[in-house]
Amino acid sequence: MKGYSRIWTVYRKELVETLRDRRTLMAMVFVPVILYPILMVVLMQALSSEKGRQEESEYTVVVPNEAHKRWLDSVLAREDAAAIAEQKAMEAAAQSLGEAAAGATGRAAFRTQLGSKQIHVVVAENPGAIWDVIAAGMAHAAVIVRPDPGADGVDHPNRVVQILYSDTNPLSEVIYRQLNIILANEAERIVRDRVTKLAGTSDVLSPIVTTNLSTTSPDKQFSKALALIVPFLLVTMTVTGAMYPAIDLTAGERERGTLETLAVSPVPVGQIVAGKFGVIVTIAMVTTALNLGSMTAVIQFSGISQLLSGSTSATAAIEEMEAEQTVRTEPVQPGTPAALQLENIGRRQALESAMNRRTGFVATAAPIVLLAMIPFAVLFGGVMLAVCSFAKSFKEAQNYMMPVMMSAIVPAMVVSYMPTIELQGPLMATPVANVVLLMRELFLGNFRIEAVVIVLLSTCLYAAAAVALATRIYGNEAVLFNDVGSYKTLLLRRFIHPQSLPSAAFALLTLALIFPVYFFVQSSMVGAGSDWMDVCQALSTTQIGLFFGAVVFLAWYAKLDLRETFSLRTPTAIHVVATLLVIVGVVPFSATMQQFLYATFRPTQQMEEMSRQMGALMGETPFWAIILVFSFLPAVCEEFAFRGLLLAGLKRSFGAWRTIIVVGLIFGAFHIYVHKIPPIAIMGMVLAYVCLRTGSIWPGVLIHFVNNSLGAVAENWAGSGDHRLMDLLGLPTGELETLDYSVSGRTMILIAVFVVGLVLMGMTRGAGHPRDPEETRAA
Amino acid sequence: MPEPIVEVHDLRKIFPTTTGEEKRAVDGVSFEVAPGRIYGLLGPNGAGKTTTLRMIAGLLTPTGGRVRLNGHDPQVDRESAKRSLGYLTASTGLYERLSPREVLNYFGELIGLEAAHRKKRIEDLIHWLDMSAFADLRCGGLSTGQKQRTNIARALMGDPPILIMDEPTLGLDVLTNRVVLDFIRAEGARGKAIILSTHYLDDAEAICNEFGLIHDGRIVGRGDLAALRAQSGRTRLSEIFLALCGEDQHVLSGVPGATDHSSTREVE
Repeated sequence: MKGYSRIWTVYRKELVETLRDRRTLMAMVFVPVILYPILMVVLMQALSSEKGRQEESEYTVVVPNEAHKRWLDSVLAREDAAAIAEQKAMEAAAQSLGEAAAGATGRAAFRTQLGSKQIHVVVAENPGAIWDVIAAGMAHAAVIVRPDPGADGVDHPNRVVQILYSDTNPLSEVIYRQLNIILANEAERIVRDRVTKLAGTSDVLSPIVTTNLSTTSPDKQFSKALALIVPFLLVTMTVTGAMYPAIDLTAGERERGTLETLAVSPVPVGQIVAGKFGVIVTIAMVTTALNLGSMTAVIQFSGISQLLSGSTSATAAIEEMEAEQTVRTEPVQPGTPAALQLENIGRRQALESAMNRRTGFVATAAPIVLLAMIPFAVLFGGVMLAVCSFAKSFKEAQNYMMPVMMSAIVPAMVVSYMPTIELQGPLMATPVANVVLLMRELFLGNFRIEAVVIVLLSTCLYAAAAVALATRIYGNEAVLFNDVGSYKTLLLRRFIHPQSLPSAAFALLTLALIFPVYFFVQSSMVGAGSDWMDVCQALSTTQIGLFFGAVVFLAWYAKLDLRETFSLRTPTAIHVVATLLVIVGVVPFSATMQQFLYATFRPTQQMEEMSRQMGALMGETPFWAIILVFSFLPAVCEEFAFRGLLLAGLKRSFGAWRTIIVVGLIFGAFHIYVHKIPPIAIMGMVLAYVCLRTGSIWPGVLIHFVNNSLGAVAENWAGSGDHRLMDLLGLPTGELETLDYSVSGRTMILIAVFVVGLVLMGMTRGAGHPRDPEETRAA
Repeated sequence: MPEPIVEVHDLRKIFPTTTGEEKRAVDGVSFEVAPGRIYGLLGPNGAGKTTTLRMIAGLLTPTGGRVRLNGHDPQVDRESAKRSLGYLTASTGLYERLSPREVLNYFGELIGLEAAHRKKRIEDLIHWLDMSAFADLRCGGLSTGQKQRTNIARALMGDPPILIMDEPTLGLDVLTNRVVLDFIRAEGARGKAIILSTHYLDDAEAICNEFGLIHDGRIVGRGDLAALRAQSGRTRLSEIFLALCGEDQHVLSGVPGATDHSSTREVE
């Protein structure tokens, strides 16, 4: 408790000091609360005044002769008449259709439309110099018609119209586009007239008319647009908000010479760092919340939502009323089944739209998005704290911040620009990208529990490693004093002091480095159509390369005592006996536990499908591969990584029980399938307990091996019709995950043997571990 | 003579450098300080004073040797050792956006003083060090002297039995210099063991009971003023200092007409 109260002291003081800093306030309050809305409003006004300017401007179009002028003026007049007729039809439709049609008019609102009044057709004084007139900017465009309308009357069957314009003059571009539209419309009118003349009707020209109706309400469409922009903006704002406190609380403190006083105060470095970390996360989250709030307000009140989604905003009450008496959006004969269906769809859209508008979709999504930002803030708070702890001055820290900012913003930007990227496979474990993608999914209303769990767990692991690293750097003497050596001495092996056990920072950081690599290798090698050979390859690579190779190499590099770190001791005789008892009951125990968990938290169909595939895969895997690749390798390699390095690192600064729980949870997090996390975490805890109690890694290796192999072999044999091993172990036959929770008498006895083995371990002291009263009590 | 409360035995610090050479900053320093005594650790720049003091305070890990503060090893019982210790240097900064009162309160909380006790201690220190005029202003706007008084108050917050002062009077005006020295003397009289490192030899001569002269990481002279005089054959501390550090020859050889009377150079 005393530790927490001191963390709280540090937290309060740092928060007060940070809030008194103008730079922080600037990034945290001024930018979102004042600058944003102003920028938004300015942008809105600029956009609409630009449109206004374009519509109010007068355009000069030069033609070579009077005949041209007459021809063009008549085209413009017909276009005007058509536009007025269309407008009237729309208004009539709007009155009878309400909401949906209003949306349709709104959609065209930002397109510039010019009438004939703004377009002045002028006959050139010197027809030969038209090119120069346009190029010099004396007129906006020129129109030359071939054959000349004066020469062969008005009704030539095929005309070529050439429009001269200037790319560098914006108004010229506007009139050029507008003329293109007008001429295309004129061409269509001519075609219709000709066909009507020949066939008496122009209906033959419309064999199929499509009308499109998105089932997504305009608000959802709006939120889709937001889902692409907002995560990127928020990520940027969060890192900006966290940056100044991170620099100030670390490098700033060192530069001002207050770090030394803090270092001589009787407070462990971990508690100081924890307090500072809390402040950075708080400031980052407050910045995020203010930004999000400001964005929401701007979006709700500035009318930018209209711009993005094209829907108009009327008051909610009127909309709801209209929605009730709605709505036919399509010119289909009423009464037919198809029309009825369309009518229903139209009503639903109007209703949904009204409901969403009333609650304000952005306002409802905001809290969820804010929640999703917490892991991100935690991760970057940790990373910034660690990076800034290296820096000796404010300036140096600012230089270091650039790559950190980029590593946050670039993935967010890439993800924003690629709307088809989905939160799957290795992306779920990719720092930053996973959080941004998760936010996007939440914005779109997709909620997949496994994605949320993997993203949260992996982000927490990275953040923990970053904070642990920051603690380690922060307390280091080379960093504490400018005049003491270089921090290169932290990293080069010849300067590393040999240590018997790894620090928690080292252990967590090692696993945080391994995690994304593991995830990537695993998912790139094991795809949908992979057979047992692929799985064997992936397993061997990750097990030998990462869990064993990388872990042992890093332990060697850090000059750890390998015997102590990996608990390479011979267990005592009594522990061997206890281990044998545990082995007898371990498969029934894990099977029963899994059943119980699956019965309690039913796996989704997708998960069951995965389990079935896995089972099928095991069925075709040869016996040697089950023993060697699926059982022996994981038993040795995973024990070295989790019960070796991780456990050794954590047990020094955590208590025994916290170590056991954290080791179990991280072990679980490394198993890609979410529904497997709880049972595997529990097995991880059992194995951590075994290693802590026996003081040796070997009993755990043995138990792990038996657990993996015996169950798989039993299932493999059962798959080919031999149920003897299943019966011997008291295992239920059939698909494990789909069975209801039931335990036979034989199973109970075997589990009892398992428990006796564990208790026996708890009661006797292992080598190299002083007896801890707390452990014994709990055992 | 009471039992020493600070024990430093054969302290060594070797810094690795990136070129692969070793730098022996402190090479076998030993001394003891009893309660009520003011120990002057004197030496030229780069002699290893600050490194020694940092190792005693537990800020640096010694390469070898042993430190006991009030019976605690600062590398093992970090918290207990640091609780016995007040530490002050010339480079120590203050939190610029806090007031002296807030700074004192913060360190009081970190030490773990009860709220009532903390408040009284802060008032006492503000009174003793004459800080009431600026106790509620932001530290960023204080003068050097005011800052140093705040720093002294900060070091004394927990009323530790041991004080380590590394150049506490560097850059101070005469008046504040006097306040600080009087305060050190008073704390010594109240029974604190004080280790003082300074360049101002006159000040040291005035207030220290015992001396350790450090040169190239080794103690080259020790004892009270009388013992040093006997060892070096000089009377004034500055002369003793030069003689024991073996530097007076350099100084004098360049001066025409100077007589060489530095043959009494001694090395431990």
